[in-house]
Amino acid sequence: MSVVARRKVLAWALAAPVVAGCAPSLTAPIGAGGEGATKRTAPYVPFDVTWMIRPQHDRKYLGVSFPGAPVASPGLDAWIGKAGKAPNLLSYRLTWGTDFPVEDTRAVWQRVMLPFVVWEPSTSTLREIAEGRDDDYVRRTAAAVRDLNVPIALSFGHEMNGDWFPWGTRAATPEEFVGAWRHVHDLFQDTGVSNVIWVWSPSVVDPTPPVPLKPYYPGDAYVDWLGLVGYYTSTGPHTYRTLFAPTVKEIRAFSRAPVLLAETASAAGARKPADIADLLRAVTGRRDVVGFVWFDTAAQADWRIDSSAEALTAFRRVARDTRFGFDVRRP
Amino acid sequence: MTTAPTDRYSVGAAGSYDPETTLRLRVPPTRLHEFAPGYAFDEITRADWALGRVPDNGWSAAPSRRRTWVSRALLACLLLAQAALSLRLHNSAFEDEALYVYAGHAMIDHLFHGAPDYGGFDTYFSGSPALYPVLAAWVDSVAGLTGVRLMSLAFMLGSTALLYSLTRMLFNERTALCAAGVFAVCQSTLFLGNFATYDAAALFLLAWTSWLLVRIASGHWALALTASLVAALAVAVKYASALYLPTAALLLFLVAYRRSDRRQALLRGAVFTAGVTVLLGIGVLSTDYLQAIRSTTTDRAHGTTSFLDMAWDCAKWGGLLFALACLGTVLYTRRDRLGEIRGRTAEGPGARWRLALGAVLTGTALLAPAYQIHLQTEISLHKHIGYGLLFAAPMAGVGVTRLMGAHFRFPQAAIAVGVLALTLGMSQSAQNYGVWPNTQYLIPELAKNVRPGQKWLGQPHEGPVYYLSDMRLTDYTLWTSIYYIDYTGRKGQRLSGPDGYRAAIQDGWFDGVVLDWSDQPGDVQSLIRGEMRSSGRYRMASALTYRTSVGTGHFEIWLRLPGPHRS
Repeated sequence: MSVVARRKVLAWALAAPVVAGCAPSLTAPIGAGGEGATKRTAPYVPFDVTWMIRPQHDRKYLGVSFPGAPVASPGLDAWIGKAGKAPNLLSYRLTWGTDFPVEDTRAVWQRVMLPFVVWEPSTSTLREIAEGRDDDYVRRTAAAVRDLNVPIALSFGHEMNGDWFPWGTRAATPEEFVGAWRHVHDLFQDTGVSNVIWVWSPSVVDPTPPVPLKPYYPGDAYVDWLGLVGYYTSTGPHTYRTLFAPTVKEIRAFSRAPVLLAETASAAGARKPADIADLLRAVTGRRDVVGFVWFDTAAQADWRIDSSAEALTAFRRVARDTRFGFDVRRP
Repeated sequence: MTTAPTDRYSVGAAGSYDPETTLRLRVPPTRLHEFAPGYAFDEITRADWALGRVPDNGWSAAPSRRRTWVSRALLACLLLAQAALSLRLHNSAFEDEALYVYAGHAMIDHLFHGAPDYGGFDTYFSGSPALYPVLAAWVDSVAGLTGVRLMSLAFMLGSTALLYSLTRMLFNERTALCAAGVFAVCQSTLFLGNFATYDAAALFLLAWTSWLLVRIASGHWALALTASLVAALAVAVKYASALYLPTAALLLFLVAYRRSDRRQALLRGAVFTAGVTVLLGIGVLSTDYLQAIRSTTTDRAHGTTSFLDMAWDCAKWGGLLFALACLGTVLYTRRDRLGEIRGRTAEGPGARWRLALGAVLTGTALLAPAYQIHLQTEISLHKHIGYGLLFAAPMAGVGVTRLMGAHFRFPQAAIAVGVLALTLGMSQSAQNYGVWPNTQYLIPELAKNVRPGQKWLGQPHEGPVYYLSDMRLTDYTLWTSIYYIDYTGRKGQRLSGPDGYRAAIQDGWFDGVVLDWSDQPGDVQSLIRGEMRSSGRYRMASALTYRTSVGTGHFEIWLRLPGPHRS
């Protein structure tokens, strides 16, 4: 090495630590190139869920729900094996007052499924929530959702137009429901949460008593999906046209948000294969329906997709459609 | 003592060497000058050599080349430190920076290419839109915002250098270095050195004016007109600079008075004042800036900040330098100089003159705080306080040198003051530079949504307009601020204020809206957000959280929904 080269090496060796030393560290004060002494938990750029509300190319969500089961249920893998296709949406419940399941939700997202959290205000009345009694809890939950920074579909007080839940028509007025919804939603926004798809989730108008839905609707700025809850039962309506369409028609008078069949299934019976075919045909045939969530359980009736070989075959056949189960990580 | 060479002490000695009396105390004989004691060689001396006259002082106060270069080298080190401390500050474009730069581009298009001026910048800018903004836009087109900020750094370094020179002319190099040092690490100096607004340029022009006035005070009276030109330019660049013209005129009077007589001093002061007045009069009469001068400077809207809060902030940001300047004024009034030169008999200025100089310079530091406390508004106070500190800095330099004492007897005092000033300056400048939210993540998010020709409502909108214009995605004519709207509704009625925002949002007039949602949003932001929620025409697509040096918040990007939801 020549003298000049040695001098150059020496100069760079001296200069490099100086330059590196001048570079601001993360703990430098805000304003001087750093982020201060306290660690940041919120993401720099939130996950943009805008494209997920209306998936392009008419793609559909294939969702599943295992009530009462943990999120990372071993039944999920078995269900995937039976259905022949992995779901891209997983629905699970969150009881009001309990901490948001951060790790479970992250696990769901890591398995390439959109977490769909059904938040049940069972321990506080809607009036109390609207009046701000649980604001600390809501803010804590919102911060957890924001910091997690994965897309989340969230319904609050589902089936509010029915009378079988503590937040239903017997316990709360439509004004209280709307007030509570808006209050929770606004607290989320005030906390800087934008990675949530808000799912307004009424039960279908038939078989419920004739309760007008419009008074329960919080507004277009508060709702991203209309998450209808309806089942193909042995005695009730057993086609999309008779089960869901009347409700959609009523809602279309005040909202044009996309529809997710947020909770549906068909009871075991001879009609089940036809119900499944009708459901999936309706979902794929309607542009304003973005998908469905299959309530896979044997409670009260056997709603599982494999309640019979014929039902399972029907489900496997229609779920094979490439529009179902798209990659939720990419627009 | 054992033995010694016999011949060394015996040659020419008063008595002979006696080994028996070796241990006795004895007085050695006087040594002859030919021999150096302890050395075995002869000292060579010239027969005509004689000891020169020993001076009374070990050094001279007279100017010398060595003294000049040492001082300049120290000044260069100070400027390097100032530059490093300014450049360490980091943030995206503040709304004023972005506004001035894109206004400058609009003015260039308007002045040189005949494009219409939609902005009405001359009605609300606090300086002429045809001066600094145009220069800033030109630099921006060459080197971007970094280049514009570097230009501010050059202005501030120039201000410090001129302050040094000015103080050296008034006092001496030591005081000048102390003054430059205290000023260089002030939060306002560091802040403005990396901030692309009028302020650095105006401050530089004021420093240049003051330097010129001191420099030409003993020259021909007509030379004061040259300083008038620079002073008028400073006021044109930023109207509030006029607040410091009386100080400049008094400085000229005092310096000229000391160097000549009262008549000459009055003449120079009058010429300078008349020159500035005529130039500013021509400027006001030939432009439409009077309304802007009133709204931004003389008749500025009153705020609600309490006196105590503002006084505390003033004390934080300029208290140390002001206290040093007060100390310097008192000590300078009591004694002309430190008395390091024995027997110096040169006639110094009188105590009244010294008091007048100290009071004028130190008192200037109170002008901006007093005016803003009167207005009860803290807007830009952390910048404006720096204007007065520039004038008070020479007296602060005197204060520091007096703290050190003659012959640097108490250097620890200056070291303590320097450490305190540096610590305060670094921490406060960083905090003030981190007050506004960084838009480095907001701009890319907006770039994904903003399309050419779209109409947007925004707070902030200056930063997005600046950055997105550079990407050719938008221009300032397509953006509406939360401060002013003139909206023509569907029925043809013209609406402004809250009614205008309400109608425009209900009609879905804007393609998108940007909001800065902090803990204390303003009334208009709350109205806009509430209207977007209730109208159902918009959806919040993105919330980008940020942290500033004083709190947290988030930007919200609201997009118009693809189609009307209501059937």
